[in-house]
Amino acid sequence: MSLKNPKLLLAIPAIALIFIFMILPITNMVEMSFRTPGISAPFGDAYTTMHYDRILSDGYYWGVLLRSLLTAGAVTLLCLLVSYPIAWHMSKAKGMKAVLLYACIASPLMTGVLVRNFGWMIAAALNGPLNETLLALGIIERPLRLLFTQGLVILALVHVFVPFMVLPINNALRNISPTLIEASSSMGANRREVFRDIILPLSFPGIYPGMILVYVLAVAAYVTPALLGGQMVSYMPTLIIGELTGTFQWPFGSALAIVLSVSTILVVGLFTALTSRLMERSKA
Amino acid sequence: MSEMTNAFPYRKTVNIGFGMLIVLLYVFLMAPLVMIIGASFTKGLMIEFPPQGISFRWYAEFFNRQDLVDGLFMSLRIGAVTAVVTMTVAMMAAIAGRVLSGKLSGWFQLGMTLPLLVPELLTAVGLLFFLYKIQLAKTVLGLQMGHILMSFPYAYVSIAAAMRQVPQSLEEASQSLGATGLQTFRLVILPLVMPGLAMGGIFAFINSFDLYTISLLLKPLGGNTLPLALFDFLTYEFKPTAAAAATLSILLSIAGVALVQRLVGLQRAF
Repeated sequence: MSLKNPKLLLAIPAIALIFIFMILPITNMVEMSFRTPGISAPFGDAYTTMHYDRILSDGYYWGVLLRSLLTAGAVTLLCLLVSYPIAWHMSKAKGMKAVLLYACIASPLMTGVLVRNFGWMIAAALNGPLNETLLALGIIERPLRLLFTQGLVILALVHVFVPFMVLPINNALRNISPTLIEASSSMGANRREVFRDIILPLSFPGIYPGMILVYVLAVAAYVTPALLGGQMVSYMPTLIIGELTGTFQWPFGSALAIVLSVSTILVVGLFTALTSRLMERSKA
Repeated sequence: MSEMTNAFPYRKTVNIGFGMLIVLLYVFLMAPLVMIIGASFTKGLMIEFPPQGISFRWYAEFFNRQDLVDGLFMSLRIGAVTAVVTMTVAMMAAIAGRVLSGKLSGWFQLGMTLPLLVPELLTAVGLLFFLYKIQLAKTVLGLQMGHILMSFPYAYVSIAAAMRQVPQSLEEASQSLGATGLQTFRLVILPLVMPGLAMGGIFAFINSFDLYTISLLLKPLGGNTLPLALFDFLTYEFKPTAAAAATLSILLSIAGVALVQRLVGLQRAF
């Protein structure tokens, strides 16, 4: 280690920023989750595990947690289905066309979540374009109530996270050497076999981080369920923010946030274990 | 040969099907933005798409709404400070990161992007209690620190990528010719990483402009950012004014995308 280099001192402001305003606060939150409820303040002085007991013994919280985890899982899978063809198509494009396609991915990515969700509010209105299209196609007979449904929340979340999945998959696909594909097709593999045995395994280094990132972000998404889910369905993030800003139950809100984080980490760990076994099998 | 002639029509339908799928997916990506822009020109009183007639009245209405305009200015101010601070701090960190090699460099990179990898909700909840503890709760400075933290990784990633393009030998050459560290930075490194630095600033600004959860929990007394003001507006009034406000936000990100394309090219940036 070359810690003697004076240039390393230049990292101090950045490290301080992340340490003081992120690591310390999150550690602090863990401590907060063990505090007793406050009477006149948001939290008390003594320590207790009562918040965790309450969450883990109440079926209501289990239900909301399960809904959050499952919804994020559905969002992640749908994201993969939408992103893979786009990433594939992008990886083939060159020149001005490629720039335009990148702009199509980058513009939604750089437009705020709230703004994009608002777009879905317009689309899903009773006399909005989504209903009009379905009516015109004869799929439905009268307009559907789409706003404030779980389906719309999932659709909007997929829209929010697609760019996060397209970009890593596109990078992985671009890194696949075309000679490899030529070699395997000259050895008699058909298109489907080339895809299954060469392209899909080699795009995995993009699929895996993309899926993890989308899952972790989707579990904790707050704006979309709050705006498009209405009061009908509750997810963990809406519950957490409600406890913190509505009823000022800081210790209980922290405990909810930690339960959500720990279960997310468990899901990600399980997924990693499963996929690494799958990868080893496909290599063999 | 016969196999090829048999496969050909099948392949053609598959290609047409794939083409249609791709078009549909791009429509899915762009539709919400197009609908907002379209709805902002609505002539009538209700949000509608496609709009009936063209009018700019909702833009005028937006600039007459004190709460939304206040939010816009607050977001612009916080975004500007965020861009300047993150560019400076990330530039320094990127110079330091160059010294490290191998595994250590990987860990450093991971540490610097941590605020991006941990969900905003978690950081926001932690910061809420922490700012309360250090007596910065409900102040603009507290909110500003939250925005700087959340936008820092975007600035760092672009600047560090630009730094990697600068050959280390140039630095050594300049130093062996007698330039001080500061001179080497100002005359050799800075001009070369300028596009990456600017791009980092743009990303940081736009990210800060759009942050919601962290702003909601840390908002100062009596102050709202544009997304917060817009959310409040949308929960009570579903009027085209919101479409006008959202269109301004979309135009900002399109300008950002165009600028990034000019500076370094989108393919290298993403």
